[in-house]
Amino acid sequence: MNQYEIRELCEAFFDAYENRRVDILDRLYADDCVIWHNVFGRETTRDENLAALPDGYRGQRRRTYNDRIINTFDDGFVIQYSLNGVQHNGHRGALWVCIVGRCRDGRITRIDEYMDSGKFAAWSGRPIQGDWRTATGGAK
Amino acid sequence: MSVDTEHRRLCHALFDAIEQGDIDAVDDCYAADMTMWVNVGRAEITREENLAALARGRDLHRRRTYNDRIIDTFDDGFVVQYTVHVVAHDGTTVPLPACLVAEVRDAKITKLFEYLDSGKFSPRGRA
Repeated sequence: MNQYEIRELCEAFFDAYENRRVDILDRLYADDCVIWHNVFGRETTRDENLAALPDGYRGQRRRTYNDRIINTFDDGFVIQYSLNGVQHNGHRGALWVCIVGRCRDGRITRIDEYMDSGKFAAWSGRPIQGDWRTATGGAK
Repeated sequence: MSVDTEHRRLCHALFDAIEQGDIDAVDDCYAADMTMWVNVGRAEITREENLAALARGRDLHRRRTYNDRIIDTFDDGFVVQYTVHVVAHDGTTVPLPACLVAEVRDAKITKLFEYLDSGKFSPRGRA
């Protein structure tokens, strides 16, 4: 993949996330794709990630992935962005996230996500309780 | 030297210098107008403010090592994924996975973006 293809893949991935198109995300993940989150320090499979999305999406009225700064390298990309969310009660919150993605043959093979769980309460507008998912795993 | 090699060397030079508490060597990695932004505080700080913070932070812990560095480079910068192992004065070790994106010009760092999880910080500030 050249840098333009990798950049397009990155944009397509975040557009699909924003538009809640789980079917497109399914196509963009390689069969052996794994997702790692710094908040939990563990890997999840593509199937686990996709299965968690519908429930995660129900948590907010809207989520947009803005201010995307993308840089590409031989086999992947790094994207820095602001995740802006609108809760069902109208509360607006933001998270500042960085993702490093690995790509092969037009699909994403690995995602490493870095975010600050200390911002989750402000993001949701309510105290943190129980299990939290992340921006790409469906922050509640 | 290729851009890739140059950026990798700069990245290692920065982390080696921070690890060793060598503030002058850190300064050598920075452009005069360098700024730094961290996702936790989100305020942009200057080179001087960053160097002062590093100097103040040297004695907070027994040791800090920047391990498992995964570096990828692009034309005007690099991204490094790493784990800081912070060893407190009482011997407690706290691992802190983090990611740093750097913008580079003329072999000097002009901007740093650091992403980490403040939820991993110890209540007593060990990490």
